[in-house]
Amino acid sequence: MKSLNTARSMLAGPALILLVGALVPLLLTSGFHLRLVTIICIYTILCTGFNLLYGYAGQISMGQQGFFALGAYAFTLLMSAGNWSFWSALPAALLICAGVALLIGIPLLRLRSHYLAMATLCFGLVFAGIASRWIEFTGGTAGMMVPSVKFSGHIVSRTELYYAILLIMVLVLVMQNFIVSTHMGRALMSLRGDETAAQSLGVNVTAWKLRIFILSSVLAGLAGIASAVVNRQVNPSFSEFPILVSILTIAVVGGLGTRYGALLGACVVVIAPQGLAAFGESETIIYGVCLLLFLMFMPHGLSGLIPKLFGRIRRKAASPAPGVVKAGEIKP
Amino acid sequence: MEQIGVILLAGLTNGSVYGLVGLSISLIYGTNRVINFAQGEFVMLGVMSAILFMVTLHLPTWAAIGAILVVVVLAALVLELGVYQPLVRRGAAPLTIMIGTLAAAIIATGIALLIWGPLQLAVPNVFSLQALNLGPLMTNAQQLAIIGVFAGLLLLTWYLMYRTSFGLCIRATGVNPRIASLMGIRADRVVRFGFVFSALISGMVGILIGPLLGGQVGMGVTLTVKGFMAAILGGLGSPFAAAAGGVMIAVVEALVAGYGSSLYAEPIIFSLILAILFFRPYGLLGDFEAGRR
Repeated sequence: MKSLNTARSMLAGPALILLVGALVPLLLTSGFHLRLVTIICIYTILCTGFNLLYGYAGQISMGQQGFFALGAYAFTLLMSAGNWSFWSALPAALLICAGVALLIGIPLLRLRSHYLAMATLCFGLVFAGIASRWIEFTGGTAGMMVPSVKFSGHIVSRTELYYAILLIMVLVLVMQNFIVSTHMGRALMSLRGDETAAQSLGVNVTAWKLRIFILSSVLAGLAGIASAVVNRQVNPSFSEFPILVSILTIAVVGGLGTRYGALLGACVVVIAPQGLAAFGESETIIYGVCLLLFLMFMPHGLSGLIPKLFGRIRRKAASPAPGVVKAGEIKP
Repeated sequence: MEQIGVILLAGLTNGSVYGLVGLSISLIYGTNRVINFAQGEFVMLGVMSAILFMVTLHLPTWAAIGAILVVVVLAALVLELGVYQPLVRRGAAPLTIMIGTLAAAIIATGIALLIWGPLQLAVPNVFSLQALNLGPLMTNAQQLAIIGVFAGLLLLTWYLMYRTSFGLCIRATGVNPRIASLMGIRADRVVRFGFVFSALISGMVGILIGPLLGGQVGMGVTLTVKGFMAAILGGLGSPFAAAAGGVMIAVVEALVAGYGSSLYAEPIIFSLILAILFFRPYGLLGDFEAGRR
């Protein structure tokens, strides 16, 4: 019975998202809107990885934009310079991301968590430097064109691309829910609490940190590949600071350590700038202020509001003893 | 032979800058175990307000320097009172506070972008940029001033930390703020001092490095990252180890740029840091600090 419940909680949300996502293109009229929805899916993939790493396991990487770009560049170079096929370039690029994450992770994850944050920020900047200055290999600041994806002579259209990325995003969410609701999730959450306590309970702290760091890097690389295919080009801006700002804003605004926080945050961060005309110049400030306000006043982000809302309705209906349900204590 | 001298001098100049940023980061970390991701923004503010006070407002040099230092101290107080304190009061974890400082860095960059725009601006010099022959080496007063200020601030920090009773308070707070409070040390004031002192250092770095780097609102992150590299390589636990790390990084950078291409410098240094962490997890000169909560 319990396992049935777990399975339902794992699949119900993603199934609903898949259904809504599949209907979206029917409601949209312009290609621009379809592009926005595709970008939301890409950011969700990127930030789900970040959320698993920081929200659940309490390890922070500020180099996700580096892996985002690494995936995109590796994929593009393998496709165009290496003449690899799509189906071999995709896993190879993801393997490259995993390998680099392993190399960075092994020395850093034995240390306290701020070392990872500091060193990954360095990685992101070092990668941006290589991407913009190693001109003969990466195309410099202009970047490179990405060949359009073909399957047996048929060029994949924008809408088909959207459905593919939507499906990937839903699969990533299912995987996240699976990880979170099994023993793996509990091991990760024990790292967030107290590493020494986790170790004494038999959790191999370094190994779990390394696994989740690699997984989040691979997801960032996957999002980067999707972004390269959608934009039909890669350039150094993939690895630059604004991407990191977006990742952090999405994760914190959506809700750290919640299942659908990444999706919620991605919707807000992608759609909100469209409504504000004079957003351009002050975009950085607005992101920064949002980040700070949410950190201070709503550490559970927008997702934290939902159980609070439900809690209030339930409390009204059943009127239990005061103080039984606190929004912060509800398991995401 | 001459070339290596030039390279080492360039390394020492940049190293003074990286070292001072690393020292600032390590100083704040030493009082409250928080990594300040906005440290480079203090340098940026120093550089950009130098443009404001010296070029736009035509203040005399000494008044401008005073005004710049006031600006960075105010920025440090805003960071401490507006970001650090509220997060600590809400019981945020050190990592959350760290993201808070990054948010502050983002806001600072955004405000600077509105004021000064995205272009690279020329920064007036305090000391002469006239070429100066020092034996076989060519240098200028500004470059020598940077190295001199580096040495002076190192000495000042050392004196403050190890020869005054306030320094003892700083070190005690770093070991355990609660017990330090029980001993009658005002731990919150020590933390505030850490922010203000490190901002002053960074502001001075900004005044000195501005004419050589040029002023651009995005320069803060690059400097923060150099400071991180310095602190990780040298050892986060001690300000002096971090400063030494900065010099090491800059010398390697200058050597790689001088004999190869500057393209390889950053990746080589980054791999070097990872390799060194593999064998010495707390940095080359670091002590036990890093492993402790």
